[in-house]
Amino acid sequence: MADQVIYDRGYRSYDGARLGPKGARRAVYKDGVRRVLGLGRKARQKIFPWTLIVIAIVAAAVFVGIHWAIGNIEESMRQEIPTYGGLFDFYSGISLLFIALAGPQLLIPDRTRGVLSVYFSRPLTVDGYLTSKVGAFATVVAAIYILPQVVLHLGLGLIAEEGFLTYLGNNLDILWKVPVTTLAFVLVHGAVVFALSAIIDRTGIAAAAFLGTLFAGAAVAGRVAEAGFPAARYFSLLAIDHHPRIIRDYFFGDTIEYAPEAAGFEVWVSAVVIVGLAALAAWFVRFRYRRLA
Amino acid sequence: MSAILEVDDLTHDYGEVLALSGLTLEVPPGVTGLVGANGAGKTTMLRLMLGLLHPTSGSMQVLGHDPQREPLVVRSRIGYMPEGECLPKDQTAADFVSYAAQLAGIPSHEAKRRSSETLFLVGLEEERFRFLGDFSTGMQQRVKLAQAIVHDPDLLLLDEPASGLDPEGRTQMLDLIRRLSDFDVNVIVSSHVLTDIEQTCDWVVMLDAGNLLRSGPLQGFEKLGTVLVEVLEHPDSVAAAIREQGFDVVVDGLRLVVGPGDESIEPIVVSAVAAAGAGLVRMIRGSASLEDLFLNRETV
Repeated sequence: MADQVIYDRGYRSYDGARLGPKGARRAVYKDGVRRVLGLGRKARQKIFPWTLIVIAIVAAAVFVGIHWAIGNIEESMRQEIPTYGGLFDFYSGISLLFIALAGPQLLIPDRTRGVLSVYFSRPLTVDGYLTSKVGAFATVVAAIYILPQVVLHLGLGLIAEEGFLTYLGNNLDILWKVPVTTLAFVLVHGAVVFALSAIIDRTGIAAAAFLGTLFAGAAVAGRVAEAGFPAARYFSLLAIDHHPRIIRDYFFGDTIEYAPEAAGFEVWVSAVVIVGLAALAAWFVRFRYRRLA
Repeated sequence: MSAILEVDDLTHDYGEVLALSGLTLEVPPGVTGLVGANGAGKTTMLRLMLGLLHPTSGSMQVLGHDPQREPLVVRSRIGYMPEGECLPKDQTAADFVSYAAQLAGIPSHEAKRRSSETLFLVGLEEERFRFLGDFSTGMQQRVKLAQAIVHDPDLLLLDEPASGLDPEGRTQMLDLIRRLSDFDVNVIVSSHVLTDIEQTCDWVVMLDAGNLLRSGPLQGFEKLGTVLVEVLEHPDSVAAAIREQGFDVVVDGLRLVVGPGDESIEPIVVSAVAAAGAGLVRMIRGSASLEDLFLNRETV
């Protein structure tokens, strides 16, 4: 039998490539995506996000199935069945739950467990850290909005009477309407969840605060806006969850009248509110983290 | 090789609280201890070196770069082990250390390889796929060290690395740090435990309430011990002559304790004994511990 020797490899120096700040930002982005999806984490951290993703995609498949079934009975009835806008509406609840989970997970553990001290001892600025986190959030949430729409779009194409390619050609506007609507949702929900997660140290409380801000905010804003005092209508703008829905309705057709619309505001006002809210949240989160670094 | 740290008249305050006051010092390559009581300014010093704080006045060069002007350049060459908690409990040790390497710019495939090697080095090869939340304090300290060295930094900053460890864990951690110096990694160890510094460092910087007490080789500090002198008679005359030369003297019968001070004490004692006609029985130099010197609080 040959002699067995164990070598202590010791500590080896590294002479290979160093990607600098760009590599650091990429690492934060990748870790953010993995964290939101529960990858590299315990099994129970995977259950919730993947269940919601599967539900959203299955919902799109069910929509296609309904279109196919109804179309077999009476083709004209298919016009009455919701498509892209309806699907947005259907899984908006799912996406809200997902965002309530994902947003706090991206920011809070790093801060409360002291991991920021590791981040900022590396070639990484506060801006680099935050933009990478926002990028990870936007990637996953946008995927959750867009993937079911892709399933729906291709499914509707497959069952279309005019044929798959003709259907796609006739509905090219979907290729920009869906992303723009998704962007409106990501901006509003991302702004709220990041701002709250920057100041709340418990992920569960931040998630509850996010949902509470959207639901209670919309209810209170609607009631106050209906009051008789001067300028009461401006309170309707505080129903921040209504603004991306107004954008969605603008592209895909009306569903219900939201508080800002009831108060007489045009769709462009909602667009301005969305951009303003995102800018305000970006400033606030950046301000908060520059003090923490 | 030039100094790894050069500090020139550096002052930093947190509003009305003065954290560092007019520090000027140079630290050569090797293992350096940054010692001082809690609140002495050690962590402030480390954060200034990382470019996370900006000095109120004065300047600093770390590895030849100004951390205020080039923080990312400095940070890409430094490994930092924070004193407090800094580990995500829901990641495995291998994943986190690999991630720490990628944060320093190491490509992901290389980061995974170095993560395994580094965890092997710190003695966690068997536990590397366990979640950090399941680790003991000693194991967490090792992971903190691993994340600080995984990217092969030129300078390692360790903030209280043995904090919270039991005696065995403390010994193992100090052994690890000593071992790193064998691999030519420059280390600055911040600690308020002076014996840790004595065991690991070859240069020491002593801070007290933001002021520099001493900065020099640990070997030199040992020479700054006291000298025990015993004479046949006239101890007070001998003591007076030595005091005139600027050294402290404690008289206990025919015995005198002179110093602390360097090797210039001995000739002065001999001259004083001869001048007083006291008759020298014996003269023995005692070594000083860092604690003696720290408690003495004389700036050099």
